[in-house]
Amino acid sequence: MTPFLDIQNIKKTYGATVAVQDVTLGIGRGEFVTFLGPSGSGKSTTLYVIAGFLDPTEGDVRIQGQSILSVPSHKRNIGMVFQRYTLFPHLTVAENVAFPLRVRRRPNDEIERKVAEMVRLARLETVRDRLPSQLSGGQQQRVALARALVYDPPVLLMDEPLSALDKKLREEIQYEIRRIHQETGVTILYVTHDQEEALRLSDRIAVFSQGRIDQIGTSAELYQNPATRFVAGFVGNSDFLSCRIDRVEGHSARIVLPDGACVSGVRSHGTVRAGSEGTLMLRPERVRIRNAASNTTPSENGAAGLSVTIRDITFLGDNTHFAVETDWKQPMAIRVPFGRAGAEGLAVGDRARVDWVAEDAHVFAESANG
Amino acid sequence: MLLDFDRLGGLKWVLVGIGILVSAFLLLPILFTVALSFGSSQWLLFPPPGWTLRWYEELWADPRWITSTLTSLQCAVLVTLLATGLGLLASFGLVRGRFAGRETVRALFLMPMIMPVIVVAVALYAFFLRIGLGGTLIGFVLAHTVIALPLAITSISNALERFDKAIEDAAILCGASPWEARLRVTIPAIRDGLFGAAVFSFLTSWDEVVIAIFMASPTLQTLPVHIWGTLRQDLTPVVAAASSLLLLFTLAVMLLAAWFRRRST
Repeated sequence: MTPFLDIQNIKKTYGATVAVQDVTLGIGRGEFVTFLGPSGSGKSTTLYVIAGFLDPTEGDVRIQGQSILSVPSHKRNIGMVFQRYTLFPHLTVAENVAFPLRVRRRPNDEIERKVAEMVRLARLETVRDRLPSQLSGGQQQRVALARALVYDPPVLLMDEPLSALDKKLREEIQYEIRRIHQETGVTILYVTHDQEEALRLSDRIAVFSQGRIDQIGTSAELYQNPATRFVAGFVGNSDFLSCRIDRVEGHSARIVLPDGACVSGVRSHGTVRAGSEGTLMLRPERVRIRNAASNTTPSENGAAGLSVTIRDITFLGDNTHFAVETDWKQPMAIRVPFGRAGAEGLAVGDRARVDWVAEDAHVFAESANG
Repeated sequence: MLLDFDRLGGLKWVLVGIGILVSAFLLLPILFTVALSFGSSQWLLFPPPGWTLRWYEELWADPRWITSTLTSLQCAVLVTLLATGLGLLASFGLVRGRFAGRETVRALFLMPMIMPVIVVAVALYAFFLRIGLGGTLIGFVLAHTVIALPLAITSISNALERFDKAIEDAAILCGASPWEARLRVTIPAIRDGLFGAAVFSFLTSWDEVVIAIFMASPTLQTLPVHIWGTLRQDLTPVVAAASSLLLLFTLAVMLLAAWFRRRST
């Protein structure tokens, strides 16, 4: 089955500079997909190609099997919410929302009905007759959202719409966006550099890095099974340790840490080759820490570990944060949930032992980007 | 603030005194002219021995004053339309355009503002004589547009630069064609700049005298030219009356502009 919105092999170059390449992605009707990546990674460029503000050097964009590249922006019938505030300054909230219907020459009673519906959906009843300059940033973006949805576009593009808002307001509007997505069933393509926002909103996330998509998947897939070191570092917190790859069998590798410790059963990703340098990745909450002196707990099946020195301990309520250093001076962060046994009595400066279940460890080739 | 008016102590009153003196120096001659226009002395005596409306009656009875006023109005309105329209188009080009030589073009557009008016006047005079535009209304309008355009462009360009292009893009994605987006969104959004351009253009033409003297013919004169001509022939209080009316009109335009500006914000 062909996807509802089909992005095929998009490439955009400016002279010798490649802004995006090999961007291929199929999006189902009603799906909420986020482009996540640092600035300059090509996510906004891809969005602007879909909006029609940029022509791709190569590739195609299809909606329901029809290419939209030859259709000018104003006839694409796509909704968009911009990063900056883009309300029409001389029109009231209601007139801003009505604008797309007015340029489509819809009858007045239909305009009135649709605007009322959108004003209610975006909870703008109390401000409907105000001018944009009399609204807060959050209200302005909610009006922009209502304006982009009033003509029932098949696809809604959102280009970092909340980046100008403070954290609390951002969370509030993220919730609103989710609710509106569920109520309208519109297909949403959302761009952000904020991983928390991506995790909170999306059905699927496409992680962009240096003009390419590194990985596409659900939040859980990206977190549990990152395809590249970049994805591992960008989605969730990670500890990275340099290592040497000793042996690779399928997707399982044996690695050697700088102190000579051997760890087998590590999950390998990408083009990991035996004998090359690699990076070991661990999630801070999957690593356990205990007193080196106690030495009572036998390693569980497949568990691996190393000795560290504790540099800092921060109690954060539901968990405690340990900043430690390996014997070869690489920093690591470890998060211990409140109440988990083993970490009692540890103090700054102590020697400690950290370990993890082998399958929680991932190894990436050193040369992989990031 | 480095200089706080309230903390200046005794110096404060010195400043107030200087302020009053400067204002008086600038404003008194104008008040003086207005007073003379109502004075009964034919020799512009001050203080006037009596008060009269006679000079205004004479002004009203002389068709040359009426025609020159109408010429001025006609010219100023045409200049306003032309300079604002051209200024809008030029501003779009200068602000949005990406072409080689853009800064040079901008400098050329603004040139008449820094050139001495007399130089512009002589040059235009020589040129217009040659192509048969001297002494015509079109000649007046074109010459005044040349000096009004830099003001119009400055005012509109500033407004256009403050206007975020993304708003126009948003209008286009909402379904408006690029032209419709400019007409329905961009132009209304920069209306303050357009209005400023119109007011400046109007006033530039309305009280311009140097170029107008060169452009004028015995049969076609603007009000400032006629005032100037009358003043050189005989020093009659009618000139004071005409000046007072000119002043009143200019004041009215400025107040209207201020009122519009306040209403739009």
